[in-house]
Amino acid sequence: MAPPTLQAWSKTKANTKNWEELLTPTREQKFWMYRNMLVSRFHEEVIEQIYLEGKKPVFNMANGPIPGEMHLSNGQEPCAVGVCAHLKPADVVTSTHRPHHVAIAKGVNLNKMVAEIFGKKTGLSGGRGGHMHIFDADVNFACSGIIGQGMGPAVGAALSRKMQGKEGVAVAFIGEGAVNQGAFHEAMNLAAVWKLPFICIIEDNQWGISVAKSESTAVPDNSVRAQAYGIPGYQVRDNDTYEICRVAGEAIERARNGGGPSLIEIETYRLAGHFMGDAEGYRPAGELDGLRAKDPINVMRARLGSEEGLTDEQDEQIKAECRKLVDDAVQFARDSEYPAAEEAMEKVFV
Amino acid sequence: MAVAVTIPTNLWEEDSEAVITSWLISDGASVSKGQLIAEIMVEKVQHEVRAPAAGKISISQPAEAVVAKGAEIGSIA
Amino acid sequence: MNEQVATVAANERRLTIARAMAEAIALEMRTDPSVFVMGEDIAKLGGVFGNTRGLLEEFGSERIRDTPISETAFMGAAVGAASDGMRPVVELMFVDFFGVCFDAIYNCAAKNAYFSGGNVKVPMVLMTSTGGGYSDAGQHSQCLYGTFAHLPGMKVVTPSNAYDAKGLMTTAIRDDNPVIYMFHKGLQGMGWLGTEPGATVHVPEEAYEIPFGKAAVVRKGTDVTIVGVGMGVHHSLKAADKQAAQGVSAEVIDLRTLVPLDRDTVFNSVAKTGRLIVVDEDYKSYGVTGEIIATIAERDVSVLKASPQRVAYPDIPIPFTRPMEQFALPNPDKILVAYENLKRARTWRWL
Repeated sequence: MAPPTLQAWSKTKANTKNWEELLTPTREQKFWMYRNMLVSRFHEEVIEQIYLEGKKPVFNMANGPIPGEMHLSNGQEPCAVGVCAHLKPADVVTSTHRPHHVAIAKGVNLNKMVAEIFGKKTGLSGGRGGHMHIFDADVNFACSGIIGQGMGPAVGAALSRKMQGKEGVAVAFIGEGAVNQGAFHEAMNLAAVWKLPFICIIEDNQWGISVAKSESTAVPDNSVRAQAYGIPGYQVRDNDTYEICRVAGEAIERARNGGGPSLIEIETYRLAGHFMGDAEGYRPAGELDGLRAKDPINVMRARLGSEEGLTDEQDEQIKAECRKLVDDAVQFARDSEYPAAEEAMEKVFV
Repeated sequence: MAVAVTIPTNLWEEDSEAVITSWLISDGASVSKGQLIAEIMVEKVQHEVRAPAAGKISISQPAEAVVAKGAEIGSIA
Repeated sequence: MNEQVATVAANERRLTIARAMAEAIALEMRTDPSVFVMGEDIAKLGGVFGNTRGLLEEFGSERIRDTPISETAFMGAAVGAASDGMRPVVELMFVDFFGVCFDAIYNCAAKNAYFSGGNVKVPMVLMTSTGGGYSDAGQHSQCLYGTFAHLPGMKVVTPSNAYDAKGLMTTAIRDDNPVIYMFHKGLQGMGWLGTEPGATVHVPEEAYEIPFGKAAVVRKGTDVTIVGVGMGVHHSLKAADKQAAQGVSAEVIDLRTLVPLDRDTVFNSVAKTGRLIVVDEDYKSYGVTGEIIATIAERDVSVLKASPQRVAYPDIPIPFTRPMEQFALPNPDKILVAYENLKRARTWRWL
């Protein structure tokens, strides 16, 4: 028997008042999502500027106030806000090497996150993790630089909550490339067979560095893989914030009510390169221009204008507040000191 | 009166022999009734031998000895 | 200070290492509801190597969980559960299988505490079987102590007897860091692959800890220090017995834990005897034997009266056929040969 599509499943719940509410974002949710998208985007734009400091004219990754790799999430904000709109601090999220938008939406301490990206001692990990290893235990957020590595731990967190009889769901964000890792398959099966409160969110930005999804993946729609695990699967098209919010809400509620795991793939866009420094010669001409025209933040702004009567003046106010959060965090990071070098030997064991 | 410690006859069906894989007490040790005193193995399956009485045990078959069902491997006095 | 392996007590109760491990886990599970066990065949079967015998009956299937053959998933899940307040004890059936899930172990479990500046803890125990000698061939007989001990962020323990096995397991479960608990199949007490009787020793009924980073001097001596780990300890003790008959007094040290490593006990012994032989069933190059010798050499090479010797597995994949496997394995006679080489090796002193 085919597992239910999310629509069929939600139809049977039509009696419950909650389900209808979940289908459309509330006014509060819309503004919450918009603000987080703005903070996310302003953060990525500022980080991009700072990242390039010291890396011109020669782009050497080792140089500048933010050395190493950098993977920005411009364009993928809907994935983060649409899902995290339904999550509480106690819910667990694991993310990828492209974590900032998810971290911000999950409520990670922004000052400490930026300080960590700068490698300062006031950072979330005292500088030991950096941009790809952001851990905030207060809001149960972690991310990793290894493709697919976050799947197992998220399943384990879901297992832990179920065993302890405690509330909470676990969400693993992965890219569409990670679906082809064994770690994905094993974790999905384990979550399904033990019926855990776990949701897998695939951020499909169409590219695994320079390899298009159509060249790497045997099927165009990864949500069909849900059938292999006997669980509901859904694909969101075209980076639609509202649709993500609807579908994720259903999946998360299902998990909270003991209904087990779900798999959601979101067709989204990466407006910047895979990593900073990526010349992106592999992208077809005109693709980026086409995507910029569909910038999800502009789409959201337009919706708030027509649905909630947001004026330009109010919008400027919101943007100013969001920009200030980012600017304050960056200032905090710049003002903070580096840790003492010998502190590298500490915190290997607790 | 000494009580014999024998290989149980109800642990496996065939007439296969068992091997004593471990004595879990030393020769001359004091044991209590029901105490786990040895492990035996039939093919790949391990079974337990427990003391039929309390007292001081004398071991008559060492570890790695091959024994038949019902064979005496020690006595308790 | 240095401890002796427990000798026969008044109310003697010997356990195999398999039973000792299961008993330690059970004692912790009775008092700490956050401890649970996951792995392949660890529930109904009680573990292929007997180390979870009786746990399913006592604690039920919620806490004693058989898993699918999905090491990456359940190793990763152990990390996630451990970071969320549980204390998982997870089994990697054969250490040789680490290849399919090593990312979750060395790159995730071992590093998350550091990456998070100590804010996230991973209190998990990974128990895994090591060792060969019974023709299980190259993918089921390895020790790999060096591989795990070499990488930062995980503690590594290697019990040689049931008393240590129980104490080390208790300490491992209570430790807030990831601990790799490497038990040797030939010491386990499983009849179907032969066992070293010296590993089955008296074990007290109550729970007790053996601290990590404390090697045990299991035999005192004056002429040569023989350092062993796991099965190597038993080879060393047998060699020492033979040497005693020849008038040579050997001091045997059981390392017990590789991370943290008790370098002081080893150094103090070698400073006393001046001669060192290291015995390890893991591959020779880039491993435990080199580490022990380097420990002496870098601290004070002048304590040595002769060049240290090592008896370890050669750098070859483990062969199947019995003559080849037995040729390659360390054994007491090879230790005696090493002692002869040691005496013959050119000696020198600092002037």
